[in-house]
Amino acid sequence: MNSRRDRPLIARPFVLGAVLLIGAGALSAAGMHAAGPPVDARAIVQEAQKRGRASSQRYEGLLQTFEAQGKTSEKRWIYERLGSYGASKVIIRFTAPPEVRGVTLLIVNHPDKASDQWMWTPALERDRRIALQDRSTRFFGTDFSFEDLEERDVDQFDYKLLGEEAVDGAMCWSIQSTPKLSRFSQYTRVINWIRKDTYAWTRIDSYVKDDVVRRLEHRDLRNLQGIWTALQTTMTDLRRGSITRLALDKVEYNVPLREEDFTVEALRRK
Amino acid sequence: MKSALLAAVVILGASSAAAQTASVSGFVDGRLFGFPQTAPNDAARVIGDGLFRSEIVLRPVEWFQFAAGLDLRANSHHQVEDRWRLDFEDRGVRRPRAAVRRLAATFTARGITLDVGKQFIRWGRADIIYPTDRFAPRDYLNVIDTDLLPVIGARASVQISSETFEAVWVPQLTPSRLPLLDQRWAALPAEAAAFTITDGGSEIPHGSQYGLRWRHTRSRVETALSFFDGFNHQPDIAVRPGSDPAAVDIVRVYPAIRMFGGDIALPTDKLTLKGEAAYVTSPSATSDEYVLYVIEAERQTGEWLLDGGYAGEVVRQSRVSVVFSPDRSMARSIIGRASYTVDPRRTVIIEGAARQSGDGFYAKLQYSQAMKQHWRLTLTGVGLGGNQDNFLGRYRRNSNGSVALRFSF
Repeated sequence: MNSRRDRPLIARPFVLGAVLLIGAGALSAAGMHAAGPPVDARAIVQEAQKRGRASSQRYEGLLQTFEAQGKTSEKRWIYERLGSYGASKVIIRFTAPPEVRGVTLLIVNHPDKASDQWMWTPALERDRRIALQDRSTRFFGTDFSFEDLEERDVDQFDYKLLGEEAVDGAMCWSIQSTPKLSRFSQYTRVINWIRKDTYAWTRIDSYVKDDVVRRLEHRDLRNLQGIWTALQTTMTDLRRGSITRLALDKVEYNVPLREEDFTVEALRRK
Repeated sequence: MKSALLAAVVILGASSAAAQTASVSGFVDGRLFGFPQTAPNDAARVIGDGLFRSEIVLRPVEWFQFAAGLDLRANSHHQVEDRWRLDFEDRGVRRPRAAVRRLAATFTARGITLDVGKQFIRWGRADIIYPTDRFAPRDYLNVIDTDLLPVIGARASVQISSETFEAVWVPQLTPSRLPLLDQRWAALPAEAAAFTITDGGSEIPHGSQYGLRWRHTRSRVETALSFFDGFNHQPDIAVRPGSDPAAVDIVRVYPAIRMFGGDIALPTDKLTLKGEAAYVTSPSATSDEYVLYVIEAERQTGEWLLDGGYAGEVVRQSRVSVVFSPDRSMARSIIGRASYTVDPRRTVIIEGAARQSGDGFYAKLQYSQAMKQHWRLTLTGVGLGGNQDNFLGRYRRNSNGSVALRFSF
């Protein structure tokens, strides 16, 4: 049972954080090589996080979930993040379809432990805390789990460089991360593929024991305000056989956001 | 207050063109209830109900938000008022045809939030039974399928780190809407058959209500303490002699109460333990004095969300023989709820409560399916049973099935 919680915190930042921050901030491979390549796995991940750092971020997301039986559903949300890895706060507010409009998730990330999460449901006029042991469940019918929405600091994992291989035609480092505190994660380990040219995450495989249970893939990498950002992200739940595609639109970094809008109290506002 | 709100509407209307954000949402909902059995006071077995609900939210500047909502209703069983008027107070015996559901302005600055107007204020953490939720009256025209009613007032809150302090002032009582005397959810006792019963109306008290709440949200535990001084929105029932010896008047009396409450949520490795309790006193010594509490355990696993527990009551002073209080009447019960997400479009919910004495129970099974982006079909079956002298048992002829179709926009 403990192994279910062994989730690589690093995956956190990768998942949505990386989903959005994806891609470290390298503007050019030349610049990277001029500074000298990192020599170990942790340094690579740290550099990747550093290059994706911004004081805030905002985007509009389109989520399309494709079930194994062929059924599809579509949702839209607005994502706002204040701060960076390890100490950020995130608000995810659904805007469509109409029946889920206003459902809002607040994530308060911590550098040394799992995040705190609360969800506001307009129909009930109440917020509900998402307990740590509940975060392996799917987030609102998507293939992301609540845990996948967290961003976690580089120091919450141990890393091992597994080698180098090409993913989608780009050479990547393959790095395994395991959480230092296994009870904070559903995953036993995570394997990350980080592009050597941009330090952007391109793929993340999350394991429970020896099985890959979720696969996150980043596509359509763009340099936005100096940060490599994947505008298309696909999360595959390999056990269910379902896929959620997240398309990012109107991505902005370093936008002015108010600290007081990232509180449990602020969830009530529309 | 009304004029202030109207002024806000005008001002916002003028500035809406420049609004930073504006959204309109709502739904049209049609329901059909079927009751296999008639009730002694109600022969209707099929009831149709329609609701249009819409809400507009404007946020012209970051520190200000305005929300307005409107309900339009229709019903085949005279549960909606006959006349057309725009209701603001929600004090009628029947549901109004047109009602302002929300009309509130929200100001935020430096961590302080002020909500003024007609709004929803929820306290507590428990599910199914709500001991500390004193500013949340409900529509009980269908006792098992209730809807929240808004209150008119002001709410100020400030969040400092993990502490939130909240103060609420409500200038007038919004009572819960009780089952209609001539309909099945009134569930009068068997002795009532010997009398002609008339609605003697409501004695709605004048005066304001206020409440204070402190909430603490840390990683390991969430707690809250609350205090309320005002009136019970669920009434005591006074039975008074009618115009002739065989007649009695039923009068709804809303007693002054004070409540000292608290709630807690404690996540453990396997479960989240939740508790909520309220000690309710009657300053005028005219109503009961009691402790109502709920203990629950919650667990989400896979596509299941499981919640079960026990609701209890300790009566310290019993002064009233008849009360209408679903929360209290369902105490001393085991309660439970399970929801299963079949896929992003389909959910199944099972909910129930059973008295520990075994003299009353209810169970609800609901299947809901979204169709495309706007439509949702919901099928519900409700079973009720028990003894005539039990709150739930009185409704044993009210088991029903319903089908609801909703278009959201």
